Amino acid sequence: MGKPGAAPNYEPLRELLKPHIESFDHMVEAGLDTMFQHVKPVEIYDHHSDKKLRIWLSNPELFPPQKERSSKTMREALLPFECRQAKISYTGKFTADVCFQYDDGAIIRRKFNLGQFPIMLQSKLCNLRGADPRKLVSYKEEASEMGGYFVLNGLERVARLLIMPKRNYPMSLVRNSFSDRREGYTDKAVVIRCVREDQSALTVKLYYLRNGSARLGFWMRGREFLLPVGVVLKALIDTTDYEIHKKLTCCYNDKYAKGKGAVGTPLVGERAKIILDEVRDLALFTRVQCLEHIGEHFQAIMDGLENDSYSIVAETILKDYIFVHLDNNFDKFNLLIFMLQKLFSLIDQTSVPDNPDSLQNQEILLPGHLITIYLKEKLEDWLQKAKRLLLDEINDRSKSKKSNTFNFCIVEHIMNVMNKNPARQISQAVENMLKTGRLVSQTGLDLQQRAGYTVQAERLNYLRFLSHFRAVHRGASFAGLRTTTVRKLLPESWGFLCPVHTPDGEPCGLLNHMTSTCRVTTFFDAQGNIKDYFKLKASILDILFKGGMPQSVPNLFQAGPPEVLNVLLDGRVVGYIPSSEVEKTVANLRSIKVSSALEIPDDLEIGYVPLSMGGAYPGLYLFTSASRFIRPVRNISIPSNGSENIELIGPFEQVFMEIRCPDGGDGGRKSAIPATHEEIHPTGMMSVVANLTPWSDHNQSPRNMYQCQMAKQTMAFSLQTLQHRADQKLYHLQTPQTPIVRTSSYTKYNIDRYPTGTNAIVAVLAYTGYDMEDAMILNKSSVERGMFHGQIYQTETIDLTDQRSKTDNSTRMFRRSNIDKPGCSVLDSDGLPYVGQMIHPDEPYCSIYNEVTSTSHTYKKKGSEPSYVDYVAFDVKNKKHLQKVNIRFRHPRNPVIGDKFSSRHGQKGVCSQLWPDIDMPFSGNTGMRPDLIINPHAFPSRMTIAMLLESVAAKGGSLHGHFVDATPFPSSMKKDGEESGSEDSLVDELGVLLREKGFNYHGVEVLYSGVYGTELTCEIFIGPVYYQRLRHMVSDKFQVRSTGTVDQVTRQPIKGRKRGGGIRFGEMERDSLLAHGAAYLLHDRLHTCSDHHIADVCSLCGSILTATFMQPQKRPVREIGGLPPGKAVRKVYCHACQTSKGMETVAMPYVFRYLAAELAAMNIKLTLKLRNGAGDGA
Amino acid sequence: MDGVSYARTPRIKIRELKDDYVKFELRDTDPSIANALRRVMIAEVPTIAIDLVEIEVNSTVLNDEFIAHRVGLIPLTSERAMSMRFSRDCDACDGDGQCEFCSVEFHLRVKCMTDQTLDVTSKDLYSSDHTVVPVDFTDPTGLDSSENRGIIIVKLRRGQELRLRAIARKGIGKDHAKWSPAATVTFMYEPEIHINEDLMETLTFEEKKEWVESSPTRVFELDPVTQQVVVVDPEAYTYDDEVIKKAEAMGKPGLVDVIARQDSFIFTVESTGAIKASQLVLNAIEILKQKLDAVRLSEDTVEADDQFGELGAHMRGG
Repeated sequence: MGKPGAAPNYEPLRELLKPHIESFDHMVEAGLDTMFQHVKPVEIYDHHSDKKLRIWLSNPELFPPQKERSSKTMREALLPFECRQAKISYTGKFTADVCFQYDDGAIIRRKFNLGQFPIMLQSKLCNLRGADPRKLVSYKEEASEMGGYFVLNGLERVARLLIMPKRNYPMSLVRNSFSDRREGYTDKAVVIRCVREDQSALTVKLYYLRNGSARLGFWMRGREFLLPVGVVLKALIDTTDYEIHKKLTCCYNDKYAKGKGAVGTPLVGERAKIILDEVRDLALFTRVQCLEHIGEHFQAIMDGLENDSYSIVAETILKDYIFVHLDNNFDKFNLLIFMLQKLFSLIDQTSVPDNPDSLQNQEILLPGHLITIYLKEKLEDWLQKAKRLLLDEINDRSKSKKSNTFNFCIVEHIMNVMNKNPARQISQAVENMLKTGRLVSQTGLDLQQRAGYTVQAERLNYLRFLSHFRAVHRGASFAGLRTTTVRKLLPESWGFLCPVHTPDGEPCGLLNHMTSTCRVTTFFDAQGNIKDYFKLKASILDILFKGGMPQSVPNLFQAGPPEVLNVLLDGRVVGYIPSSEVEKTVANLRSIKVSSALEIPDDLEIGYVPLSMGGAYPGLYLFTSASRFIRPVRNISIPSNGSENIELIGPFEQVFMEIRCPDGGDGGRKSAIPATHEEIHPTGMMSVVANLTPWSDHNQSPRNMYQCQMAKQTMAFSLQTLQHRADQKLYHLQTPQTPIVRTSSYTKYNIDRYPTGTNAIVAVLAYTGYDMEDAMILNKSSVERGMFHGQIYQTETIDLTDQRSKTDNSTRMFRRSNIDKPGCSVLDSDGLPYVGQMIHPDEPYCSIYNEVTSTSHTYKKKGSEPSYVDYVAFDVKNKKHLQKVNIRFRHPRNPVIGDKFSSRHGQKGVCSQLWPDIDMPFSGNTGMRPDLIINPHAFPSRMTIAMLLESVAAKGGSLHGHFVDATPFPSSMKKDGEESGSEDSLVDELGVLLREKGFNYHGVEVLYSGVYGTELTCEIFIGPVYYQRLRHMVSDKFQVRSTGTVDQVTRQPIKGRKRGGGIRFGEMERDSLLAHGAAYLLHDRLHTCSDHHIADVCSLCGSILTATFMQPQKRPVREIGGLPPGKAVRKVYCHACQTSKGMETVAMPYVFRYLAAELAAMNIKLTLKLRNGAGDGA
Repeated sequence: MDGVSYARTPRIKIRELKDDYVKFELRDTDPSIANALRRVMIAEVPTIAIDLVEIEVNSTVLNDEFIAHRVGLIPLTSERAMSMRFSRDCDACDGDGQCEFCSVEFHLRVKCMTDQTLDVTSKDLYSSDHTVVPVDFTDPTGLDSSENRGIIIVKLRRGQELRLRAIARKGIGKDHAKWSPAATVTFMYEPEIHINEDLMETLTFEEKKEWVESSPTRVFELDPVTQQVVVVDPEAYTYDDEVIKKAEAMGKPGLVDVIARQDSFIFTVESTGAIKASQLVLNAIEILKQKLDAVRLSEDTVEADDQFGELGAHMRGG
């Protein structure tokens, strides 16, 4: 615990959200500029004036969110809390220059308003940025407000972090779908996801054909195009068949055949020949011929290049669609050669395929990047649309000459035409994407899913809120998969993804959470400056050259593994290093990386894949890119010199590194391969939430998973700024406590600001029988004294502008109806309820008066329990009339029978009784009665030993007046100055605490029956355990119905709790009643209480549909003896038989009648044969 | 068992008596009586507590129910409680519970006018009856009375205000814990500890020491001079059987014998301050008597006189 009064440190918390904020910051600072440069200009040719107009975008500018104000001079900052309350979006103005250039004339710039762009909270543009806790509180935010989300229509939405294939790394894959591509394709390919500087991606696949050749596949306009690899090779650079052959075969050398690390086989030469023969067969010999060949085939679908030569088309294809992360054709050529070698090695089984489900080959999609690429597409769409509009205008003008004043040479005219498709929609599109999480895109942006990119950041409690930012989803497309391979916990994810914190059930293994130490690389260095990749790469190359890599770049591939190892830097083949030199170079790189010298980024991933017998394809793969996972470990191969030597490693390199546990042992390693790195702390492998379980190392692992689930659905202290919130639903625990037994994470992440439970005195015994089967008994007096008291806050927003479409807005206002007298109405004269007032179900809480019709409409409270008006807020934008009102209700939720509680060890239970205090067992010496009783059967099969430890520790801690540290894996940390091997059991430490205060060593006490006052036979295990109240409460769930609304068509009871429906008495329930022979009950449930109906059936024709009521004949009504006339008997007759003779009444379910009607509609007649049941003996 | 009288004359011996604490021995009776006394003290001795709160102004950070709940839990001096009426039985006010016989009215009006946080405490509750006031926990010696401001209800910052009217009524802990006058009531069976001296002598000094220390509470002591194990405080024994288990583990079963006396109890009573601890015990006995009277005088009991046999005479007061 920090010192009281000391300012809490929120840095560790902020660190958790950095991936979100930094990616957005980068987008604002540099990403937009880069992206704008990559947006293709459009060119329009006007044959009339014979001028060519070039339009492109530049100079994007985003502004901090500001309020709309009538006075233009005064600009006021818009604050997030205002957006939440007013249910508007937190957006800033987005402008850009549109540049026009006629032929080669001067560039004309015009500023366009691209609309209101959503701004991430706490990003550089956010008005909260840089505010200290005190300032944040004055902005009506949490003191620890960390941002990282967007406020859209008053809702808080987070971008979901999605797993992506690792960028710029050629991955060898085996997939059955590849062989279905076309005839002759095998299931093997090398795939590379190329990512441009502006974060837009394009995947290129290199397929292997059964005939030994290969095809390069890339996606364009929703179709995959396949090119013979030889053509691409020749089209890329001027080269010769000899050179290609030589380069492809260099990876094979007789000397090392079948030796360690040899990837080439004699077959490579054969395949090279096949590839070259293919090109020859197409009669393509030179580069120009190859380019023209490509260009000829693609010109038809290339917009804007219809009039260009084939070579230019082909060049564009190569530039824009093949290996887009490289801008040099030499580099592309080299990479293609490398991929071919890797592909051949995969075919020859000299290397294994890469696992696309392993974290080793994955990275993450960050919100800033997602927005950038989505925005890019929207901008390109806008330009294309503008072009189309302009062309239409030109065509129109040539058709009807007079009326059109459009002049192509006047920029204002052009702008007018362009404004037909307003540029504001661009930001609106981005906002909609964030609001719904759906991409509306033609190309799909090389992403695997369309929906689910954002989720609402629920503030159910702090842990749930926090988890939204740490969750990593595998992708929606995997959720439907039958196989479990994608869900498996692979060792590669050690230290990056938490093995404990994943939900059980449907999203198990797909929705993971980053560990507490896991970070994501961004474009910012430790000092907060944007990294200069050009410089960094140059210095990395420098180090590589010094480490023995030849500098001759164009003539790569003189040899292959195992002689030399190829070096790839961010997907660019930069050279090769003799295998004897590699380890030295790698060690050198690491030492420079750790030294935090600025020449190498501290998050450089040095993926050294060593030579092996048929293992992963060897090489030295260096990555400097953003959005990789990284985590800190201690480098122990470098002499410490006082510094910590913290190195940031990624999942790609981790697999080939030797990292040991910090317990001082060697982890079973052989002395030949000593550990080079050491974990910082074993808790670093778990997520924040998993780290909050005390002594989780003593629990059975599924219990820790359940706890992670339950911690996130705990009714807790969700917010400090409850007063200023207008969330739909908020849960709030009235008197929470901080746990006595706590892990170090509680302090580190300031969890005490948002406590989630209460230290309850828990006795473990079978008492009264009401604690069977995970039920638990609460002490009635404890509850009455305030234990687990809580409430739900629910906000209703009434916006008159929403209903403007129906009637004119000026006619509607908040006002009490004239009829209501001021005294007896629950509403004030403004039509709004009084704060603090209790509102019963079906009472009005708001009244809207329509001036024109002078009628009023009231909103009535739904539900079955009274609630209190907590807060009423309204907008002040319109001075005359209120337009928007937030009314917050408070529903008390004090514990009742049926509410759910849980300890921090996956031990959940339902309150079965509120037991009187005097009947609870009591301790003879302290007189204490437990707050809560659970059954001892909860322990043997679940093995939650940590809960028992917690009870003992909390008892000791409370007796001594200190908190007890329960950080898991304490024995795995080598303590300074302590002999390793002091195997003191934890219980021995805790028991002593109790004994010192005169309590039993094992945490048990002698209890006396509260009813009889006699000693209980056993000593009872009793002590304080931190209990959470879960949000599942009966008051929100119970469903009661005797009669009520029925379905229109079937006349059966409707379903749904909200509508007062029933619970389905289904087939299996029916079966059980049948098995019991409970025929009467069955009849009652399925007939009488459901759609019981008495139908008139004609026994002559057997129809139930032809019964018709006879019109009662108008007889003069006579009163007999002063009595009113008897009710006329309803007479029915059969419409078909034209008689009422055979009419009988039969009880049947109404649906049967409906069935008969439906069948009749299909020309099927349904007839009943009636027989007297009494006479039917057989 | 004919002729044997069940009549016993329980005796109480007070060991320690403070305003809010009493420790006494209860002898010559059964566990049932002891436990009945405990149960009545916790749940059935009436006190006065705030039961109805009308909030006029509440601009504090806590919501109305929360404040009402907190106010309700404040102990009020309830010497009058025994003679007061339950408002449901009150015929003076027809059960609306607002007359002087069954209720006490309180007012609280606080507004914070300064920049300093203002604590609203039980001292700010103004009672209409000077005998029923929030319990004063200040040290009667008068030391640092400025520090003690009573039970805190809510804290106010500048501009916040709390105004309420509250009605306190008589009630019992069974209905709601706020009416419980007892903080703790517990009793223990008086232990009788017999050390088998012969067996004890077979132990060495170290073994004796080990055995003595095996008890988490200081029941036994080893006289350093005589090297004898003596029972210093039998009542510190918690029936945890530690010493018996220890003796067995040492291979000396029967080293010590502990008998819980079934007719002798040591009570510890702590009061919330609503009534004096001694009064609590007296009231509890009174209530117990009333309850017995209720059984005895009810018509069912008189009719079913025979079924009580010998007890019948006792019940009729004979």
